[in-house]
Amino acid sequence: MAIDQENQQASEYIEGAEGFRSEEMILNMGPQHPSTHGVLRLVLTLDGETVVHCTPVIGYLHRGIEKILENRPYMGGIRYMDNCDYLSPMLNETAYVGAVEQLMGLEPPRRAQYIRLMTNEMQRITSHLVAIGTYLLDLGAMTPVLYCFRDREGILDLFEALGGSRFNVNYMRVGGVLHDFPKGWLNRLEQWCNKFDQSLKELEDLVTGNEIFEARTQGVGYIDPQQAVAYGLTGPNLRGSDVNFDLRVDRPYMAYREVSVNPAVRQEGDAFARFRVRLDECYESLRLIRVVMDTLPGGPISTRTPIALRPPRGETYFAVEGSKGEQGIYLISDGSEYPYRAKVRGPSFVNLQIVPELLRGHKMGDVVAILGSIDLVLGEVDR
Amino acid sequence: MDMISRTGSGGALSSKAPLAFQADHIAELTRALHGLDGLVGHPVLMGGGGVGIEVERPKLVEVCRVLRDELGFEMLSSVSGVDMRDHLEVVYHMRSLAHNWLLQVKVKLEPGKPQVDSLVGIWITANWLERETYDLFGITFVGHPDLRRILLDDEFEGYPLLKSFHPTPTTVHDRATTQAAPEEALSGEAQRGVERVVSKRLGQGTLERLHPGTPTFGHAHYPEQPGVPESEGVD
Repeated sequence: MAIDQENQQASEYIEGAEGFRSEEMILNMGPQHPSTHGVLRLVLTLDGETVVHCTPVIGYLHRGIEKILENRPYMGGIRYMDNCDYLSPMLNETAYVGAVEQLMGLEPPRRAQYIRLMTNEMQRITSHLVAIGTYLLDLGAMTPVLYCFRDREGILDLFEALGGSRFNVNYMRVGGVLHDFPKGWLNRLEQWCNKFDQSLKELEDLVTGNEIFEARTQGVGYIDPQQAVAYGLTGPNLRGSDVNFDLRVDRPYMAYREVSVNPAVRQEGDAFARFRVRLDECYESLRLIRVVMDTLPGGPISTRTPIALRPPRGETYFAVEGSKGEQGIYLISDGSEYPYRAKVRGPSFVNLQIVPELLRGHKMGDVVAILGSIDLVLGEVDR
Repeated sequence: MDMISRTGSGGALSSKAPLAFQADHIAELTRALHGLDGLVGHPVLMGGGGVGIEVERPKLVEVCRVLRDELGFEMLSSVSGVDMRDHLEVVYHMRSLAHNWLLQVKVKLEPGKPQVDSLVGIWITANWLERETYDLFGITFVGHPDLRRILLDDEFEGYPLLKSFHPTPTTVHDRATTQAAPEEALSGEAQRGVERVVSKRLGQGTLERLHPGTPTFGHAHYPEQPGVPESEGVD
């Protein structure tokens, strides 16, 4: 009887609260917040626990890379592309040198193209490992990030042996690549691949079927295909929404014209699907690295190009499939040693635009789960 | 094996000849574009299998609506401003996923009047892309719902990607510091911990926000009346 009365009172209380609207609160998330993966600031308007409105504030990391590129010779600009998306410098460099080569009508030797493909796929794995690891860390799982960073370290060591630096490798050159492999490098890569084969399965076992993780990501942050295309999403975010678009397949460039890629696509469109696409792409990249290791052609690694390049007058747009999406460069040459205009189309900048739309109506706790699933790199958003 | 020859010429790579599967697509796209109203000149072939067109500025929105609705360009990839010294240009890159087309649309703006119609009504992603172009070039997009600076400070003066933009600032901003002028410190006039407004000659293109108390090594300048910023030429 007493319990019934209590229930009655509770339901009355809730009924009374139904038309009640609490005062909205403004919450600043970032720019110094570990889950914004950089210096992103979200100004959230909260009604209780529900996000009513979200305004991203960006630009804290703006270094004017497009202006810097205009004031450097073509070869000197490659190094600045590393700093755009600092988690995938090889892919950015490939986009830049590819644009210059397209402008000059230059064709790098086959071996250089295959080396580019191999390093690009290695870079894609490192970028996805960071995305997966930190996403799980945001959702409260501590162990996977350690696994991911351990495996990523192997590739960074290989990059160090190849280009002299772990992050800002500065390895691509117009017309080819900087060095051929050092002695024993391919053996080390093969050892790493064998090790990573196991640890990737280990990582998947750790996550798949985890109830907490699935409950926090499945059905959260749903993007339907039309919306994804309208917002210009590319990369894993688009393929997680059942749109099979991958520049490696649809607009194959360099060695991708000869090596076939099976892009990972998921139908669900939620945060879990985007996470799964990244995990599946790691398997695919690993397979591509092994294919290239088996079929690596011989020959020169670079054409003879002068240091002071003078591409002919003209304009071009060249895009590669970066780890986050379409990494495009729009380049205009006026015939001098310096690019007249170099526009960097960063996927993270475009992908971030959908975040306010996704967050609206979700609970505060889901903000991190949605933001992490988009996989932003603020170095590229701000440039 | 995993090797698939897509070029049809024994696997030999050549960027100059368009890929076989793209050649038909490009021809199809140029045919479709030929009937379009509002074009300047003819569609031109771009490198990498893209097609470039130039559109009359007043008809941009009409043309883009046709491009999206009838030709299937449902994704706007990038918006770039270009400073051609005598006039500005806006260059749009768009994709059709269904047809696998890449199109470049160029609009020339009137000299001295950097204005163009906004495309937010057609592609929602144009919102931030146009804001970025406004931020860096000062191009006004008429009809944009929220045209503010996005990457730079709201107080930033000038548009940095214009060719006329000087990377070294010519104006000096005053800032707060607790540092005392050397001569005042010697004569005992300076009070510790009092916040003062001083100007400092700025370095190459940097507008640093100094922590109060950061040593300026003799480059600090103290105006006669504290709080009144000096315009230029301080040392």
